Amino acid sequence: MEEKKKIKKPRGKARLIPGKCIACGARCQSSCPKDAIEMTEDCEPVISIEECIGCLKCIKVCPADAIEIYFTPEEQRILDEIKARSRAVAEPEAEVLSDKEAAALAKIKQYKGVWVFIEQTEGEPALVAWELLGAGAELARTLNVELCSVVIGNKVEELCRESFAYGVTRSYLMDAPVFRFYRTEPYCQAICYLVEKYKPEIVLVGATGLGRDLAGAVATKLETGLTADCTGLAIDDKGFLLQTRPAFGGNIMATILTENTRPQMSTVRPRVMSLPVRDASLRGEIVRESMPLKEDDFTTKVLEIIKDSKLDAVDVAAADVIVSGGRGMCARENFSILQELADELGGVVGCSRSVVEAGWMPVERQVGQTGKTVRPKLYIACGISGAIQHLVGMQDSDVIIAINQDRQAPIFEVASYGIVGDVLKVVPVITRRISELRAQRIKPKENRQPITKNAGDRKGRKHID
Amino acid sequence: MLVVVCIKQVPDTTQVKIDPVTGNLIREGVPFIMNPFDTHALEEGLRLKGKYGLNVAVISMGPPNTEITLRKALALGVDNAVLLSDRAFGGADTLATSKVLAEATRQLAQKEEVVIVLCGKQTIDGDTAQVGPGIATRLGYSQLTLVEHIENIDLQAKKIIARRKLEGRDEVVEASLPAMISVVREINTPRYPTVPMRLMAEGATVTLWDNKEMKLNEETIGLKGSATQVRKIFSPERAVGEILGDGAANPDEAANLLIDKLSEGGLILI
Amino acid sequence: MTNSILFLTIFLISISFFGWSCFRYFRLITLGKAENRFDHLGKRIRDLFLYSFAQRCSISGSYRFGVNHAILFWCFMILLVANTEFLLAGIFPDYINLANLPTGLYYTIALIFDIASLLALLAVLTAAGRRLFFPPKYIEARTRDAFFILGMVAVLMLAFFGLHSSEIAQGSERAALYMPISSFVASSILPGASTESLISLANISWWIHAIVLLCFLNYLPYSKHMHILTVIPNSFFKRLTRMSLQPREEFNKGNVFGVGQVDQFTWKALFDSYCCTECGRCSDVCPATSTNKPLNPRLVIHDIKENLLTNGPMLINKEQAKLPLIGGGQDGSIDEEVIWECTTCGACMEVCPAFIEHVPRITDMRRDLVEMKARFPQELLNFFENMEQRSNPWGIAPAERTKWAAKINVQPFEAGKTECLFFVGCAGAYDARSRHVTLAVTKILDSAGVSWGILGKDEPCCGDSLRRLGNEYVFDRMVKENIEMFKEKGVRKVITQCPHCYHTLKNDYRRYGIELEVVHHTELINNLIKEGRLELTQTRDLGNIAFHDSCYLGRYNNIYEAPRKAIALATNQAPVEMERHHDRSFCCGAGGGRMWMEEKIGKHINVLRIEEAMKENPETICVCCPYCMTMFEDGLKDKGADNRVKVLDLAEIIAKAIK
Repeated sequence: MEEKKKIKKPRGKARLIPGKCIACGARCQSSCPKDAIEMTEDCEPVISIEECIGCLKCIKVCPADAIEIYFTPEEQRILDEIKARSRAVAEPEAEVLSDKEAAALAKIKQYKGVWVFIEQTEGEPALVAWELLGAGAELARTLNVELCSVVIGNKVEELCRESFAYGVTRSYLMDAPVFRFYRTEPYCQAICYLVEKYKPEIVLVGATGLGRDLAGAVATKLETGLTADCTGLAIDDKGFLLQTRPAFGGNIMATILTENTRPQMSTVRPRVMSLPVRDASLRGEIVRESMPLKEDDFTTKVLEIIKDSKLDAVDVAAADVIVSGGRGMCARENFSILQELADELGGVVGCSRSVVEAGWMPVERQVGQTGKTVRPKLYIACGISGAIQHLVGMQDSDVIIAINQDRQAPIFEVASYGIVGDVLKVVPVITRRISELRAQRIKPKENRQPITKNAGDRKGRKHID
Repeated sequence: MLVVVCIKQVPDTTQVKIDPVTGNLIREGVPFIMNPFDTHALEEGLRLKGKYGLNVAVISMGPPNTEITLRKALALGVDNAVLLSDRAFGGADTLATSKVLAEATRQLAQKEEVVIVLCGKQTIDGDTAQVGPGIATRLGYSQLTLVEHIENIDLQAKKIIARRKLEGRDEVVEASLPAMISVVREINTPRYPTVPMRLMAEGATVTLWDNKEMKLNEETIGLKGSATQVRKIFSPERAVGEILGDGAANPDEAANLLIDKLSEGGLILI
Repeated sequence: MTNSILFLTIFLISISFFGWSCFRYFRLITLGKAENRFDHLGKRIRDLFLYSFAQRCSISGSYRFGVNHAILFWCFMILLVANTEFLLAGIFPDYINLANLPTGLYYTIALIFDIASLLALLAVLTAAGRRLFFPPKYIEARTRDAFFILGMVAVLMLAFFGLHSSEIAQGSERAALYMPISSFVASSILPGASTESLISLANISWWIHAIVLLCFLNYLPYSKHMHILTVIPNSFFKRLTRMSLQPREEFNKGNVFGVGQVDQFTWKALFDSYCCTECGRCSDVCPATSTNKPLNPRLVIHDIKENLLTNGPMLINKEQAKLPLIGGGQDGSIDEEVIWECTTCGACMEVCPAFIEHVPRITDMRRDLVEMKARFPQELLNFFENMEQRSNPWGIAPAERTKWAAKINVQPFEAGKTECLFFVGCAGAYDARSRHVTLAVTKILDSAGVSWGILGKDEPCCGDSLRRLGNEYVFDRMVKENIEMFKEKGVRKVITQCPHCYHTLKNDYRRYGIELEVVHHTELINNLIKEGRLELTQTRDLGNIAFHDSCYLGRYNNIYEAPRKAIALATNQAPVEMERHHDRSFCCGAGGGRMWMEEKIGKHINVLRIEEAMKENPETICVCCPYCMTMFEDGLKDKGADNRVKVLDLAEIIAKAIK
């Protein structure tokens, strides 16, 4: 045995697999204990053969699996030899935890439960909160833990009850005048207080403007990991939250973990998770918490809230859904069918240059080289042939639908899905179908309470003292 | 008084394509640019300089070639450009990044009072929108994200009034200075550098701060200071050019197929 | 004697005043920056004769009244001698007199003078008649200035006849027989007049002639007739290339880039402004002026002159200029929008009889706006960024550059293995419509056995629009990089399918020290047919083909016949010509970087051109340029004629004719 051990096991050298590097930001270089990695101008690693000790750190850290270990033929021969000898005594390399890692592990074990932050504005909840409860319930089931909601606001207890209808069994409530309007500081303090007290392992927040503002502050304060805009959530075999999100402008998907800190925080875009079925018979426990916060503690004040319905300008560049029309719409009047589809999808109507030229739409709606550059989640090009001037303004949209009579039109080259047909016939059918399907689905939920408390007095422009 | 603008040099992700055969990213020839959202933050900083006589410093954490992007900022008229570059900063997630940027701001503030930190809403490569709030939280500054218009700044009373763009509504918010402001693209149209300014910037100094200078605990920055780990990366499934049904003969069938695809992809909620 | 002294006094005063006027004006020219217009002396002298004395510009083309100008010009040249004699004789009556010449010579001269005076009178009457009854489109032709000058010339001629006929009637003119017109006047109007009245008529005529002549002289510098003094030298200083090439700029700290103040122009630019005859030809042909846009090339030159006259004296005294050259909102100042409206089509320069170079002035001012002030139409911000960072106008990924070749086998360019570089161009690579043209070109190249390769995703943009838009700094950097790559790869022969790439690579890049053998596909196709390498086996009738000359092929590079011949061979039928063709062709509206801007004012240029094309009832419009292709297709859509008329590139027409 002793003789055998004398053969030093070759560790090999790390090398880059061409074409695989995604320029993630020098993780490999940062992980290298020997400073054996230099980055090129293109931010790809160059690994020094002399310096590399084959420690595998860079290989483990590389998110793109772009680094591999290789052996010279001589080393390979030795390896084979070792393998042959040790076959009998298979020694599984047990992962040895360092003290630090062990401590961290012990600490994270204290955290239990899945929390969802219920976003609301003036008592009106954001739909994404209910969507997250659906996803959160899945996670809680897998982990066999409780699904909780966090409600912060002023006179918003109703929302706790509403969250029970989506499977929440315990709802944490912070209800005080100081929380009437969302402000980063009081909300951040409130959540941090709750998290530190009740130690959830997962906190989900909607990736809305408000949610991203809050989650970023909370995660920093708690010094924990936060993954933005997740499109997929799952639990791995070790109980870690697998957070999948698009990166690199949607060109790649990345699965991200928060291994050593808790809670694991994610924001999730609206309309990514499907809305769970509401069951008004479900009940849960409301945990009322309070903090000694005074209005004078905060210098930030919300002076005015202006609803978009009162803003005249339609902002094509900021829209998530754009239904765009081209010359194929044939006449100005036909744009009303696009508006109907846009309304159904919660989007806006855009157009190509020639439509502006023809005077059918105002220039602010123009998408393209000399108009707006847009990157919505969904772009529906209706009767647009796809001249290059137009394509460059919209081709980075997540999903592009082309509806056009001419199968040869260049728009089909960039489209995710296409329908070859008369746009004036196809579009109204789509609108009608969506509205029919929605009507069917809404019906069984008729018992749903009007949770929009002051929906009646929603004012366009509202001054706040 | 100083405005600090945080910028990031990013690969132009709109230029990145996926090799249809190998599934690898084609990054060859893809330029590194100033994150487009940050160009608006920079422009806002320069406008504040013009309006309130504030000095503008840009800071950027990144590899040494980030200097090129900082020179662009100098050509646009910023007073000072600081490159935060060190091996120890590499591989940072948003938590570790905000640590370095906040520390750099703090060190700048020791020399000149910082009133505003400007960030772009998010970056085009990461799309997280988390670094701005991270900086604000670490520094204890007021946090105003998604700002589409700065209505007023009162340097005496240390107050700022800004208009934020949120879903379905705008909010006019007053906050105390110093404040971290992240801007949306609608806030302004970035300027274009003049040639004399470009020539000036070619010879101007970009200050380099490494961790010897910044003296941050290496356990809290870079890869080690990151709370998140990327486990794996894969190519998204993207449908390209699938023609649905026969839209000419049977528009109803084509419409149904499309709606199925869209609801499967979570694009529309039925 | 008293008369002589009186005249001498008047003469000295007026000649001093004239001298002072000229000095004042021409001293301002010295404010301009240096530019060498004394090279290639032989060619310049030839041009001087060809264009000035042979009046080539006036006579050429379709200008019916040009002949009138040529007559007037030559009468003036003759009468210049006559009037010099007249003035000198007035001062030294005892010493200088034509009559002292040998008889034969004197008679000949007298005959020439007499006839020239009549011709001049008739020409002046024709000119006046034209302005009254067939007025040119622009308003200035009928100003008082024009009639005043014509009137003066007429009076001069009448005084000439008054003087000589009264002398003939007195019998004191020995050349009477050789002065048919004066003699006719003498015999038909003056017989029977008393000697005294004849003497006083002669006297009065002489004085009228003398005073009007001196007035005329002094009036010249203050009117558009200054061109009488300046255009002859300008035909010597004329550009030697077809279109003037914009000079490079040196990017050193402290330099000024472009022209934002009148003294930043070169002296030639300033001199040009003195040459304008206000004939209005440039306005007639300008695509912007023709579509009711504020740009009028004549007024640009006029404003430069006015600005120089206003600011020049101050600038000479090292004082601050008072009137801004750009954006002053008044006479002598050019609006920014005017500067951006130019398509750089060069039609104005082509027709200008005074050799004024309008387009480079516009580009000079664009450079100032872009490089010094960073002020330009906002659509261009995106364009400039894309060009600088992504080397193509649309900002599309380099990986997409080879998409057009997905279904065919294409060689990468490698010196030694492939002979020619096929420079596909941004439009040819990215634009869906132009990709068809690219494929047609490759079909032709392969069919003719040309050895070619492409740069693929490494192909950069040539930078044409940057240069025309005045972003010389970015152009300069791009060209230097591109040239380095061309040299590294050993590129010598280049085939382009875009006239803009063609002109830029061929002519602009030369200034950066690379002589590329660039050929546009129109020329190449024609040569391949001529050499018998390209067999047109399937010639077919494509109906009426209207041919559109691209500015950067035609006016800029003199390629007119190659595409026409090729069409004729491929379709067995010569293309039909539109109303404006060859060097008078009308721009599609996309040149000079206009492709990347919105056309907000006036009628669309491409629509005007399409309307012109439609008059020929074409089935096909043939173009040779991707910009023209886009503009024509858009124009046809605007007119709702895109289902009746097709736009094809020459390469596509030829590709149809080969197997």
